[in-house]
Amino acid sequence: MDDDDLVFKALADPTRRRLLDRLFERDGRTLGELEAEVPELTRFGVMRHLAVLEQAGLVVTRKQGRHKLHHLNPVPIRRIYGRWMDKYTDGLSAALLDLKNDIEGGER
Amino acid sequence: MTTTGTATATQVYQLYIKASPETLWDAITNPRIVAKFFHGAQVESTYQVGAKLRSLSPDGSRLWGDNTILECDPPRRLVHTWRSLYDPALAAEPESRVTWEIEGQPGGTCKLTLTHDRLDGSPRTAANVKGWSFILSSLKTVLETGEPLPALE
Repeated sequence: MDDDDLVFKALADPTRRRLLDRLFERDGRTLGELEAEVPELTRFGVMRHLAVLEQAGLVVTRKQGRHKLHHLNPVPIRRIYGRWMDKYTDGLSAALLDLKNDIEGGER
Repeated sequence: MTTTGTATATQVYQLYIKASPETLWDAITNPRIVAKFFHGAQVESTYQVGAKLRSLSPDGSRLWGDNTILECDPPRRLVHTWRSLYDPALAAEPESRVTWEIEGQPGGTCKLTLTHDRLDGSPRTAANVKGWSFILSSLKTVLETGEPLPALE
């Protein structure tokens, strides 16, 4: 699997996207703090999801004293954006997306 | 994702780049290469601890950064202060800190980790420097293909 495959695979799961959103809101969290965000999962389940995110480079951990802090690493998403979005959203597809947003009430 | 997330006091950016540690170190300290990935900035420094790290707009007319080198251990670690002088509202916030760490990996690749911390009292700067993703992605493109990314916007 190449790097992009790992990122897409990691993003293809709603729980993992939720974990990233929580880190986006407040970065540098411990496993315990993240566990509290997804109460329906066991500690082991949260660890497994974090491992997939870490392998894809979307989460980077850092030691601070006795704590292991999880940080959102936005660089792989920036790479995907550059590789896929800039290319396809120029011109017509951007105009169509704008139209869709207008019709659907402007909110995505 | 909402766009109103609270930027935090410590931000971590990490990526792998196909280059030796020496090549990567040269790229982040060589003004000719820095200009290619850092919005055309002109940087000047002797890269000695205590020395200034100044950066100017591409035409040299405006001061973008007037920072200080805190640590310099080629080709592994570079630490410097940060204040965003390119915007008066950001420039008024307290100084923060940027750490570049390069770790050689098997197979001729490097892991580059950039940590921007001490942002506790600088919320606007913290939101603004999210642009490191673009800068570092550009650096990777420059080193791996020799070409800078097209300018953003």
